[in-house]
Amino acid sequence: MRLKRMLSMAWESMKHRRLRTFLTTLGVVIGITAIIALASLGEGFRVSITERMEQGFELDVLTVIPGTLFAGMREPFTNSEVANVRNVSNVSAATPVLQIGGVNLYNGDKNVIAFVGAAVNFTEFAEKVFPNRFLFEEGEMPEQIKNDTLIIGYKVNHPNETEPAFAHPNDTVKMAVTIFGNYTLTANFTVAGTLEKTGTSGLTNFDYWIFIPIDTAIKIYGNVADLIFVKVDDPYLSESVAKDIENLFPPYQITVLVPLSFIQQVNSILNMVEIFLTSIASIALLVAGIGIMNIMTVSVMERTREIGILKAVGAKSRTILTMFLAESALIGIVGSLIGVPTGYGIAHVLSYVLSGFASPQQNHVFQAPEAEQATIAPIFSWSWVIIAVIFGIAICILFGLYPARKAAKLDPVEALRYE
Amino acid sequence: MSLLHQAGANVTALLEAKDLKKTYRMGKVLVPALQGITFDVAEGEFVAVFGPSGSGKSTLLHVLGGLDRPDEGEVSVDGISFSTLNDNALAEVRLRKIGFVFQFFNLLPRLTALRNVELPLTLADLPEKESIKKAEDMLKLVGLEDRMNHRPSEMSGGEQQRVAIARALINDPKIFLADEPTGNLDTTTGWEIVQLMERLNKKKGQTFIVVTHDPAIAETVDRIIYLKDGSIQTVKERRN
Repeated sequence: MRLKRMLSMAWESMKHRRLRTFLTTLGVVIGITAIIALASLGEGFRVSITERMEQGFELDVLTVIPGTLFAGMREPFTNSEVANVRNVSNVSAATPVLQIGGVNLYNGDKNVIAFVGAAVNFTEFAEKVFPNRFLFEEGEMPEQIKNDTLIIGYKVNHPNETEPAFAHPNDTVKMAVTIFGNYTLTANFTVAGTLEKTGTSGLTNFDYWIFIPIDTAIKIYGNVADLIFVKVDDPYLSESVAKDIENLFPPYQITVLVPLSFIQQVNSILNMVEIFLTSIASIALLVAGIGIMNIMTVSVMERTREIGILKAVGAKSRTILTMFLAESALIGIVGSLIGVPTGYGIAHVLSYVLSGFASPQQNHVFQAPEAEQATIAPIFSWSWVIIAVIFGIAICILFGLYPARKAAKLDPVEALRYE
Repeated sequence: MSLLHQAGANVTALLEAKDLKKTYRMGKVLVPALQGITFDVAEGEFVAVFGPSGSGKSTLLHVLGGLDRPDEGEVSVDGISFSTLNDNALAEVRLRKIGFVFQFFNLLPRLTALRNVELPLTLADLPEKESIKKAEDMLKLVGLEDRMNHRPSEMSGGEQQRVAIARALINDPKIFLADEPTGNLDTTTGWEIVQLMERLNKKKGQTFIVVTHDPAIAETVDRIIYLKDGSIQTVKERRN
């Protein structure tokens, strides 16, 4: 029998059992809806997290640390080591940073604390490694490396938004740093500029930093750098550049942090979460499949006589099999076609509701200025639509197979006798 | 051995049944339904099979129509031996060469008369336009031109049996088999059905084998086979 006729007969028979067909199809609709809703929300979640991380991380900036997690710290980098790093191929810039912790600043009777005092070659740091990142609220970048000048991060200068700024350009500020336990080092700096909000970069937030010229710091500390920021030409080369930099040093001496691989790691974890959620949703579809098997088995029993008639008239077993499979497949097709848009609809509703709940948690240290509102928009993807529809129809056919085979195998004489 | 053979006529039988045996198992009891039945039917012949209930009439009809297989023995129709065919090929023979009519009509309840009659053509993959035309013609032939779009539940028993006869003959089968076709009808209607079958048998020259209790049928047929306990008891020729 032709497929078209077969499908139209299946359709007729489904129409005849409206309520039953509706309920069976509803199971498939729920399964497909769950899969599509969770998959599109999961995908949206993943993309939103990845985007936020990409905003936070400068993907093309690697961080070189003198030491490894398990082998311990080594001495700071020397000038020639920094130069070697600068010469690695595909490195467009490298700048040393000397970190000074727990800095107290005094301006008259005002006092603020900076989490990180960073001694940098500010021109190189701000123009080559982090271009367009640092905008000045007041003042400007020192023309050249001027000793005893200071640049203050936004949060240091504005510890409290309601109060006036701590310092303005050309103020003279006293810096006090406690070193070697109880020895306090003090020095005076002229404020060159104050910064606007910069947002998060990797694991730190420059808003809590102050910057002093590296030459000044070397004079005080003697060291060159306990950190090197390396800018690569292309973020996707960062793994190989990291390898090259590691090879400049003896084994287990340094660590290179590669933001891209960190993001990829997070991405793959989120991917797994997405797959996990979708597989849970698939259980709903599986239950729907069992519902189909149940209903079709009942239907075969009810239509035993009909099957006997068809066989007496000359229908082959294969024809009977296909007739019943066509009914299951139709349930799958209709269920999937309804389930896909319903799934996306529910995903949008859920994302709206969830966005209401997840109003931004004020995490000061990690807050990126451009991503204040957490919104997860469900993402439409044709591949998910195709996967869901194929899966839906496949489940229906698979679970329809047993009753259909049962129908096809009926003995015609016994089927005709069936009351 | 048919009379044709006895007379030495150079006619090959359309249907040959050789030593058919079939036993049913009812729980633990074995019920012999056919115990060695042999006979031939020539093309165009109208044969009635009489016998008390339980004499194996229906089983014989199922076996002759390829709906059931005998334990032993052989049926061949139009030179095709059933024992050589698998289930699919046997279904194909039922579709092309055999038409069945049952006591309880056995129409598909959801289909109209027209669709019921058209069903074998659909199974034979005939284009819908053509099959509808043929089914309409067939329904006219059995006198149901104004009942085509009625469902079985909207028709009388006689009308339903006419639809069943139309369905059995739509594929121009070599053999028409009927199991108590008048058994569920009143006498008048039954007589109408008998006359219809007789008319069609003469008109189309198809072979008719009818299993029945109905003495009215005996009036019209060429030959009567009396069955008892699964064996042929007597054969009575009515015309020649």
